[in-house]
Amino acid sequence: MNDLTPTPEERAANLKGMGCARKRVEDVRFTQGRGNYVDDIKLDGMLFGDFVRSPYAHARVVSINSEEAMKVPGVVAVITAADLEPLGLHWMPTLAGDKQMVLADGKVLFQGQEVAFVVAEDRYAAADAVELVEVEYEELPVIVDPFEALKSDVVLREDTVDANGKATDGAHGPRNHPNHIFTWEQGDEAATEAVMAEAEVVAEETMYYHRTHPCPLETCGSVASMDKVTGKLTLWGTFQAPHAIRTVVSLISGIEEHNIRVISPDIGGGFGNKVGAYSGYVCSVVASIVTGKPVKWVEDRMENLMTTAFARDYWMSGKISATKDGKITGLHCHVTADHGGFDACADPTKFPAGFMNICTGSYDIPTAYLAVDGVYTNKAPGGVSYRCSFRVTEAVYFIERMIEVLAIKLNMDAAELRRINFIKKEQFPYQSALGWEYDSGDYHTAWDKAMEAVDYQGLRAEQAQRIEDFKAGKTRSLMGIGLTFFTEIVGAGPVKNCDILGLGMFDSCEIRIHPTGSAIARLGTISQGQGHATTFAQILASEIGLPADSITIEEGDTDTAPYGLGTYGSRSTPVAGAATAMAGRKIRAKAQMIAAYLLEVHDNDVEFDVDRFVVKGAPERFKTMKEIAFAAYNQAIPGIEPGLEAVSYYDPPNMTYPFGAYVCVMDIDVDTGVPEIRRFYALDDCGTRINPMIIEGQIHGGLTEALAVALGQEIAYDEMGNVKTGTLMDFFLPTSWEVPNYETDYTVTPSPHHPIGAKGVGESPHVGGVPCFSNAVHDAFRAFGLTQTNMPHDHWRIWKTANDLGLHG
Amino acid sequence: MELKDEIRISAPRDVVYRALNDPEVLKQCIPGCEELEQHTPEHLEAKVVLKIGPVKAKFAGEVFLDTSGAPDGFTLKGEGKGGAAGFAKGGAEVTLVEDGAETVLSYEAKAEVGGKIAQLGSRLIQGTAKKLSAKFFAQFAEVVAEQTAA
Repeated sequence: MNDLTPTPEERAANLKGMGCARKRVEDVRFTQGRGNYVDDIKLDGMLFGDFVRSPYAHARVVSINSEEAMKVPGVVAVITAADLEPLGLHWMPTLAGDKQMVLADGKVLFQGQEVAFVVAEDRYAAADAVELVEVEYEELPVIVDPFEALKSDVVLREDTVDANGKATDGAHGPRNHPNHIFTWEQGDEAATEAVMAEAEVVAEETMYYHRTHPCPLETCGSVASMDKVTGKLTLWGTFQAPHAIRTVVSLISGIEEHNIRVISPDIGGGFGNKVGAYSGYVCSVVASIVTGKPVKWVEDRMENLMTTAFARDYWMSGKISATKDGKITGLHCHVTADHGGFDACADPTKFPAGFMNICTGSYDIPTAYLAVDGVYTNKAPGGVSYRCSFRVTEAVYFIERMIEVLAIKLNMDAAELRRINFIKKEQFPYQSALGWEYDSGDYHTAWDKAMEAVDYQGLRAEQAQRIEDFKAGKTRSLMGIGLTFFTEIVGAGPVKNCDILGLGMFDSCEIRIHPTGSAIARLGTISQGQGHATTFAQILASEIGLPADSITIEEGDTDTAPYGLGTYGSRSTPVAGAATAMAGRKIRAKAQMIAAYLLEVHDNDVEFDVDRFVVKGAPERFKTMKEIAFAAYNQAIPGIEPGLEAVSYYDPPNMTYPFGAYVCVMDIDVDTGVPEIRRFYALDDCGTRINPMIIEGQIHGGLTEALAVALGQEIAYDEMGNVKTGTLMDFFLPTSWEVPNYETDYTVTPSPHHPIGAKGVGESPHVGGVPCFSNAVHDAFRAFGLTQTNMPHDHWRIWKTANDLGLHG
Repeated sequence: MELKDEIRISAPRDVVYRALNDPEVLKQCIPGCEELEQHTPEHLEAKVVLKIGPVKAKFAGEVFLDTSGAPDGFTLKGEGKGGAAGFAKGGAEVTLVEDGAETVLSYEAKAEVGGKIAQLGSRLIQGTAKKLSAKFFAQFAEVVAEQTAA
């Protein structure tokens, strides 16, 4: 009776499960302009909010006069800190254990800080009124340099000192200066100093990882709607972590959590910028409560670049010690971290410098020490992880530059230096000197594959010839070979050591199978372009044997989705992806019992086969998952509840550690400083590969943002604290014009502790890409004596490097 | 930002000096000037509408003059606030040298700007400032020449 065709392979292909280069299901909407972003939300009677912002980087707010502003037709209210104070909402907690002014409370600490919130019937009236709010400021000395901040008598945060002007303890322990936020130490300082003292070779370098910004195409925004009849607040917003936002809103507003519904609709890119809580969110909520009408707030591009979370701004000094033949013996790292006016970093609570302690990289470094000092300055708050896990780009940049610096000191090939120091395959799980347990890796295989793919020796020979030709005056172009081997740490994380505001960083998936054999799965994460609706359906398809095309993935609505900590730090696949697989397995376990009942055999006598359960040894006797789904709703099966649903909350036992080997070949015009990227090869090992097409897309995107950061993108301040790069005229956002062709490659080393062996990939290309582009620039000038020059390597800075090295004759 | 220039005006030095201190003349010559009030010979207050790139705003400013060097020149410093658009402050040194019946006016100005004009208009500020001062002195030379002729 039963037909054995199609074959298991054909049936598996029909599912479009794991490993399938399935087209993104989201794109049907997005390519037809049918996305639904925060600014697309229009509600009856909706009001619009806009901020009066400080032109000063540091000033006292003497007075605020909104009389003229209130005369603008359509203006409903002008809200100031004085209005918020009775509600206790003039300050809000930050994710880093600090607090931040919602609206200027007596002073401003950075240019663009929110001073007053104007609410009007339309955006234009609000914008007109913003210009008419008269604010009297009294200028204060501006500090934009963290080293100066630590020496200065100027106290930026008067709320953090006692009556004698002495710094009170912060969220991360004692502070040694009023402008100091924390010191965070990892590893063994004394042992590291001892290793350095005895070492045959020690290389030292200081580097500045400049301040930049995630700059998502969609800026941040929210729509708050308080229903005064039901007492229910609905809040739409650009939230990378909607559930955490709901909890925070409940805690600071006093509205019970069941009366708050937070919805993240489509999000046009986050890259870390949409993790934090912003004044605009709070003010839209307050304005809606006060007016009883929906209130929308959407920032413009300048506001986004100037005020909502920046990334990096790390001054890093390192020492790396080795034997004469290049075996690394120790690593010492100190970071001065510029956090701006408030410590609004987005890191797990116990990690004020994120996972910076992954800075021993992919190398077997027996002894290491890291110390990070956080500092207040008159710059915008933030310090988010821009397309990377918490501070991992900083860590990887640091170690990959230190390796190059050591190679120069040893007069050794940097590829070989990496090779002899890699953690060996048999050393995994590997305990690092700074506290991590690397779950898995096979670095030598990946590195050798990369070196062979690009013909590394051939490239070096070509480079040597180019240097000769340059010296002989035959060319004005130099060639750089940028190398990087990175190890990321993603998938935060185990609840035992990872939480944000006390919320454990597990994640979740809830699945409902419908009677006709299709399904909906809801997750605690939220896609911002990563393609969750595509890939999570593929995980499920393989786990439960229903076609991915029959599975809807839904995220972002706290009234329907199970609680989760959201999407950032490449945590969706490692954590929510694991929850999805685990929930799928619960479905499968129940399906097995139903199948056994229908086939009239014992539970243990049936086994799962792609899209069905078959009787062991008699594969012609089977029930498809579709049949089982229907049976779950129409058969009275003894001992089994009707329905087919499951939920899983997954607390990962460890982080995952994706890695990769990147090579960039660059030609630099010495006279113009223009770099031409001739070749970029990226080998990624993200463990089990769910959708190769999405992986490739993620790698292209991450590399492009890496190119941006390495070659020009920055948030620069002048001495007065003016943001000099507040528009896309000055802030570099690469287009297809600047982007080279990327070659992608892979190895597969599954994570041993993840249910499907996946590790996450969205951020790897950024983490590995930045040092790779930067190392290429450095390498081009290595033969002429360059050891270190700071990013971003824009044309002018590259030209200046060449000029400083005397290459302009 | 620094500005430096030299203008030749067809009028004797004392006429030029007087005109430079005459609120009525200044009001005619300052581009976008809506109000100019002289509280004392050393203290003026003005309202000026300025457009720098995409930012247009009314600046309320105060100017303090140091006339101790008269009539060889004077120094001034001032500050203007444009609300949401930002602020500007700076100073200038103006020198007047007689050259026959004409006067050579040279100036060196330094200015700092902050707020939106600094961010949005940073690449336009120097150009705009040059254009505005050129406009001012062209108008000034004309007004002074007319007065002299009259």
